[in-house]
Amino acid sequence: MIELIHLEKKYNKACPLRDVNAVIHDGDVISIIGPSGTGKSTLLRCINMLERPTGGQILLDGTDITAPKYDLTKARRRMGMVFQSFHLFGHLTVIENLMLAPMDILKKSRKEAYETGVRLLKRVGLEGWEYQYPEQLSGGQKQRVAIARTLAMDPDVILLDEPTSALDPTMTGEVQAVIQDLARSGRTLLIVTHEMSFARAIGNRVFYMDQGGIYEDGTPEQIFDHPQKELTQRFIRRLKVLELNIDSCEYDFFNAASEIDRYCLQNVISPRTKYRIHLIFEELVQQILLPVLPEPHIRFTAAYSEKEKITDITVLYNGVPFDPASSENSLSYSVLKGTTAVLNYSASTEAGFTNRFQCIIPE
Amino acid sequence: MRSKSDGWRWLLILSMVLLPLSLLAGCGTKKTDVITSVEQLNEPGRKIGVYSDTAEDQLVARELPQAQIEYMKDHISAFIAVSQGKLDAFVYDRRQMELAIKSGQKGVRLLDATLGEGNRVAVGISPVTKFPDLEAKLNEFIAEIKADGTLDDMQLRWIVQNNETMPDIPVPESAPLHLVVGTTGSLVPYSYYAGTELAGQEIELARRFAAWVGAELEFKVYDFEGIVAAAQGGDIDCIMSNLFVTPEREEAIPFSDPYSLVEIGVLVRDAEQSGSASFWADIRENFQKTFLRENRWQLFLSGIGTTLLITVLSILFGTLLGFFTFMLCRNGHPAANAIARFCVWLVQGLPVVVLLMVLYYIVFGNVVISGKSVSVIGFTLVFGASVFSMMKTGVGAIDRGQLEAAYALGYTNLRAFFRVILPQALPHFMPAYKAEITAIIKATAVVGYIAVQDLTKTGDIVRSRTYEAFFPLIAVAVIYFVLAALLTFLVNRVELKIDLRKRTPEKIRKEVEGR
Repeated sequence: MIELIHLEKKYNKACPLRDVNAVIHDGDVISIIGPSGTGKSTLLRCINMLERPTGGQILLDGTDITAPKYDLTKARRRMGMVFQSFHLFGHLTVIENLMLAPMDILKKSRKEAYETGVRLLKRVGLEGWEYQYPEQLSGGQKQRVAIARTLAMDPDVILLDEPTSALDPTMTGEVQAVIQDLARSGRTLLIVTHEMSFARAIGNRVFYMDQGGIYEDGTPEQIFDHPQKELTQRFIRRLKVLELNIDSCEYDFFNAASEIDRYCLQNVISPRTKYRIHLIFEELVQQILLPVLPEPHIRFTAAYSEKEKITDITVLYNGVPFDPASSENSLSYSVLKGTTAVLNYSASTEAGFTNRFQCIIPE
Repeated sequence: MRSKSDGWRWLLILSMVLLPLSLLAGCGTKKTDVITSVEQLNEPGRKIGVYSDTAEDQLVARELPQAQIEYMKDHISAFIAVSQGKLDAFVYDRRQMELAIKSGQKGVRLLDATLGEGNRVAVGISPVTKFPDLEAKLNEFIAEIKADGTLDDMQLRWIVQNNETMPDIPVPESAPLHLVVGTTGSLVPYSYYAGTELAGQEIELARRFAAWVGAELEFKVYDFEGIVAAAQGGDIDCIMSNLFVTPEREEAIPFSDPYSLVEIGVLVRDAEQSGSASFWADIRENFQKTFLRENRWQLFLSGIGTTLLITVLSILFGTLLGFFTFMLCRNGHPAANAIARFCVWLVQGLPVVVLLMVLYYIVFGNVVISGKSVSVIGFTLVFGASVFSMMKTGVGAIDRGQLEAAYALGYTNLRAFFRVILPQALPHFMPAYKAEITAIIKATAVVGYIAVQDLTKTGDIVRSRTYEAFFPLIAVAVIYFVLAALLTFLVNRVELKIDLRKRTPEKIRKEVEGR
């Protein structure tokens, strides 16, 4: 069991891990997902102390491995690591890569190490490649050797840091299959990955990392089908969000319009949807809301899901409770109705706003 | 774009071709006229050679103001230069040049006239010598041998009759004093090697003085350039090597009363004499002269031994020094690295000769230490600095991921270095290491400056005896090649043992499967 307690990692300019707390049980297979630069790899490298955390504790079966006097080699012997770019030992053949550490560290006999090595190569589908040098292998084969090298130390925990990111797409399958096989072996696995379907299929838990910590932690179903928190949802649905704030009747309409244009261009949103976003902004904000709000405070949010190709528009505004459906400007409202699939008015729960209006532009 | 860079390339090639050509052209303009009098030399464009570190340059400047002075490092090379027409004349001790011609120096002859009033010869005395009342005793001794005719007899035998037998001089038993005499060992008939023993008028003088004063005698052999510095540093008590009294030298060290006067002669080219017999007969004769006569091969053997000793010890200690310094700096504090870099910069920035002289005369100035030991220390530093730089480059070429992979498997830092990093860095720096070995064996040729008789110095000594410039030089060159090849061969064998990537498939299979 690994416990992460208020783990923090700071660099001079960045702070990828602010406060990480988690309990990893024996046999857990955890995929770690999240946007780039949110400290996924850093977390993995902190767990086996390749990066020394700047704060907090890591307890491995109750022992604090961040303690200054702790002999790290003990912890590392129990935690294997597979790297994005393999790091096989170039001066040794494949079989020697598998035999080196068991003989040096575990003091296994040459015969025992050799037999284990041959068995593991067979397990990762590389029987007969014993006497090749790493440079003679393809990327996928190298990564499978790296996994076998880790397995040769018989670790309780295996950390995999983007094991398929450096491979070309034709080779990810063979490596993923080997990892699938590992996941069934009862070892604890932590896998940082960008492959969402793999992340969902492989494990019993998913960590979504954002904002310097584990932002949401749950089963694959929870995280992928019913994410609870906003950033998780955005990430899972691959949401691209535009936010416009209007705090005066004399705001720059043309600037707002050009921001919508830029947002659509950046996210490759179809011209049809772009036209509809413009239309909703004009009819709802310009025609319906601004005339009835003497001191306007409006937040217009468009969230486009790359995955589902639908756009969710939420408009928050102040003033007395007011449903645009009851607007005197029935023409504008009927335009809204004509362009969107769902129209929904409710009282706002967010501070500073009293009303919430939501509509969805279908694909 | 292409044509522009091509243009530059052509320009570069052209300049590389033209540069040596222009140098050759400069050498090509020799005057080939026959010189019969000193006056003929006094015209612009005449090149007059003088021995560096003597007063002859002032003499030539005074007597032949139009001519151009060239400084020569040794007189044997000067003889050759004159015979080849590279110098129009060489101005030097007349007696020595006479002997050289008598001993078979070809293509040169002496003018009848002498230049100036001659040079006074005296014993140079170390200003810091611990020998009690050395100057007074020397003067007393010189006065005595002048008075009783011993000095005249010595000069008659060594210089006029050219009789090479050293008379028996009693060695004082249980001498309370110790006298260290510096000499050059390459000046016939004053101080030279007859076989493997020092001989000559100055050597006899030293022995007689030691016997007279009751001191145990020790000789140290220096290059001419280093000998005054050796006396200044107190490395020797006095210099007996036909040393001329010059104003510059008098500023540096005190001298005894002069005991002889050396005439200055002028050597010019003799175009009529040319090569003797056949090429092969020449070779045979030269070989005989250089190696066999007076058992000179023994001198060469000891020279080779000294060169090898210095080289091999420097390589061993230098490798260890470079390696351990690197290991200390590897994970070290930035300050430790900065200090190491500074030392490497210092050692690599100095010419090796200067480094050796600094070590010998300044750093170990007050310590009794042999030139060989100082050479080993100096070259160990030089080699260590190279090994340090090589390892830094070689290890730096290894991806940091290799270290991380080893850590992740449970290796400690040190173990990971030896099992994973070093074996991979090795192929990166072995070529540089081998190049450095051939470089260091050649670099040791300068140890003659600090009284070590290595291979090069042996060659110089033999050259000064046989007046054959080329054969000993070429022999020495061939020996250096053979030694370098030998060392490289040995290192290649070691490399095969330690470079894992050079194993044969059979060997790997055997190692892995243990059968």
